[in-house]
Amino acid sequence: MKQFSTTLPDEAERHKLLKSPLTGEGLILLFEAGLIWLTTNQEYVNALNVFPVPDGDTGTNMVLTMQAGFAEADSKRSKHAGEMAKTFAHGALMGARGNSGVILSQIWRGFSRALDGHATVDQQLLTKALQSARDTAYRGVVRPVEGTILTVLKDMTTAAEGASKTMSTLSDMLVTLVEAADVSVKNTPNLLPQLKDAGVVDSGGMGLFYIFEGMLRMIQGLSLDTATNNVVSLAQLDLSHAMEQVEEGQDYEVVIDFEPNKSFLLEQYYQGLEEIGVSIQVGEGEGIYRMHIHTELEKRYEPIEFTETHGIIKKVYMENLQDQMNHRKESEIKFNPVHPGEIAVVAVSPGQGLSRIFASLGVAAVVEGGQTMNPSVKDLVAAFEDLPTDKVIILPNNKNIILAAQNAAKVSVKQVGIIPTRNTPQGFASMFRLMPDGDFDEVVESMTEAISEVHTAEVTTATRTAEIEGVKVKKGEVIVLYDGKLILSEKSLDGAVEALYDHVDMDEFERVTLFYGEGMNQSAANSLADKTRENYEDLEVEVHDGGQPHYQYIIAFE
Amino acid sequence: MTSQDNPMGKIYILPKAIKTVVRDAALQSYGVIGLAPGNVRQSFVKMFDEEGDYGISVASDEHGLEITINLIVEYGLRIKSVTDSVAESVKYHVEKTMGVPVTRVNIHIRGMRISDED
Repeated sequence: MKQFSTTLPDEAERHKLLKSPLTGEGLILLFEAGLIWLTTNQEYVNALNVFPVPDGDTGTNMVLTMQAGFAEADSKRSKHAGEMAKTFAHGALMGARGNSGVILSQIWRGFSRALDGHATVDQQLLTKALQSARDTAYRGVVRPVEGTILTVLKDMTTAAEGASKTMSTLSDMLVTLVEAADVSVKNTPNLLPQLKDAGVVDSGGMGLFYIFEGMLRMIQGLSLDTATNNVVSLAQLDLSHAMEQVEEGQDYEVVIDFEPNKSFLLEQYYQGLEEIGVSIQVGEGEGIYRMHIHTELEKRYEPIEFTETHGIIKKVYMENLQDQMNHRKESEIKFNPVHPGEIAVVAVSPGQGLSRIFASLGVAAVVEGGQTMNPSVKDLVAAFEDLPTDKVIILPNNKNIILAAQNAAKVSVKQVGIIPTRNTPQGFASMFRLMPDGDFDEVVESMTEAISEVHTAEVTTATRTAEIEGVKVKKGEVIVLYDGKLILSEKSLDGAVEALYDHVDMDEFERVTLFYGEGMNQSAANSLADKTRENYEDLEVEVHDGGQPHYQYIIAFE
Repeated sequence: MTSQDNPMGKIYILPKAIKTVVRDAALQSYGVIGLAPGNVRQSFVKMFDEEGDYGISVASDEHGLEITINLIVEYGLRIKSVTDSVAESVKYHVEKTMGVPVTRVNIHIRGMRISDED
C-alpha cells in the first residue's frame, strides 16, 4: 500500500481506531484513506474533466489539495477530532489548487467548523459536519451549476439526513454516503449538458466519491492501491507471473466472477481459498469480484462451492492448466533488446496479440492498458526506467493515456518523447519509422508524421442508448468509430463493417488490416477478410489476432 | 471592436458581446461573488443597470484581446487558485465562443465578502 504517513497502523490497530465515535487519530486515518484512494484513481478522474474547462487536471488538483491537508494534519497529530479536522482544513485551504481543489478546501472548512470543540465524532455529528460543508461550499458561488461536485455533496448530505436512524455504525454511514455519491455522480450528465455531450460524469463529483469510498474501503479492509473503475481483466491479473509458479499438482485454473454477500470479508475469503489451491488473486470492480486460483485435478470444483458461500456467482471459467502452459510457451512474446544509447520505444497495448505485433516491430517494452484501463504514470515510468538507455519514446495508443505519458515524461530523468498516437494502428504506423540510432528529435518528428498515414476504425458494442454527433445509437448495437469519431450504428457486426466500407473511400487505400479482439474467433475474422477481398479486389487484406478487450475489430486503412 | 474575415465579408464582435461571455464565465467560477465597477463610469452604469457591463473592460490589438475583470470574492478562499480558475475559464470560453485569441486576462480583486465568522 502506498503510504503517506510514516507508518500506517496495522490491521488490528486500524480496526480499533475506526470505531465510532472517532477520535482525532481515527479521523486522520480516514482522511489518509480518502487521499490514497483518490490518488490511485487520479488519472481516471483527470480523464473525465471537461467542465468548466477541459484541461484534465481535476484529479491532480484534488489530490494536491488533499495532500496539503494531510501533510499539515500529519505534522500536528492530535487525539482531539475537532482540532485534527481544523488542521486538515487549514492545510487544504493553503494548498488548494484549481477550481475543484478550492471547492474541496471549502468542503473541509465547513466540515471542520461543525466539529469545532468536539473531541470525538459520531454519526450525528458527521451528518452536521456534512450539512455545514454543503452550506459553506455553496456560499462560494453566485450561480451554482448543478451536476458538479456541489450537487454530489448535497445529495450525500441529504442521504445522511434521511438515514440517521439506520446508521448505527460508522461503516453503515459511509455505505449510505458512498451509495448516494455513486447515484449522484451517475446522474450528473442529466444535469449538465456539457457532460452528456462528452459522454462522461462530473470529474469533481467522481473525485469526492473516491475520497469517501476510500474511507469506506479502509474500514472494510479492502486494498487502496489498485484502481477499480473496471473489473480487473484477466490480463491485468498478471497471469504471466502466476504461470511461472505452476508446479506439479496444479492442474486446473479456475476463475470466478461473483457478487459478494453483504457480510463479505476479503481476508476470510482469502484464507478459505488458501486451503484449496495456490496462485490466488482476487480483483474487484463495480461490486463484482473476480477470483483466480490454481488447483489440483480433484479439487477443481471446490472453489466454486466455496465461493457460493460468499456470494452469488456470475460466471465461472475453467481451464486445463498444463495444456494452457504448453500453448503459452510457444507464444511467449520476445521484446527487442535495447543497446545502450539507442532509442527505446514503450508502447501501451490493450491486447496480447497487439503486444506481439508491437514486439515484432521492435518495441522494447509493452504496458498493458487501453480504453477502460489506463495505465498510471508509475506503470509507464516503470516500463522504461530500467532500460539501458536514456532515450525513450512512448506510444500511448489512446487519447486518454497521452496525458499520463506526458506526466511520465515530466517525472523521468530520461529524455522522453511522446508520439501522440490515439490508437494501435497509429502506433504500428509510427513504429515503421523508428531508427534506434537516429537523431532523437528527428525520429520523434518522423514517427509523429507517420500517424497521419493510417486511418483507423474501431468496432465495438454500444453500452448505452444515446445520440452522439447526430448518430442514433441503441444500447447493444454495434457501433463504429472512424478516427475516433462515431460514424454509424448497426444491428449486426457484419452489417456494421459493411456500412463502414461504404462510408470510407475504399479506392483511396491499398491495404486493410483487421485485428480481431478478445472473444472473437479467427474463422469469423477470416470470412470477413475473404468477403472484403471479394468486394475490393485491389485491396491487400490482412488478419491478425489482436486480443484487445471491448473492441470486436480494430481496422487499419492504409 | 474585433473583426475577423470570412468568405462573405467581415464579422465584427462588439466589446459588449465579449463582456457578456466574460461575465458569465466569471460568475460561474467558484469563489466569485460578483463583479465590481472598475471606474467612475462603470459605477454609474451599475447604479442604473444591475445587469450592465460594469466590472469588465476589453481592449484588443492585432494579437487578440486583453480582458480586465474587477471581482468581489468570497473571503477565506485561496485567492490565487480562484483567480487562476477565473482567468482560465474566461480565456477558454471567450476563445471557444468568439474564436478570438485572448492574450491577457487581468484580475483585480475589488472586495471580499465575509459570509461567516472564523
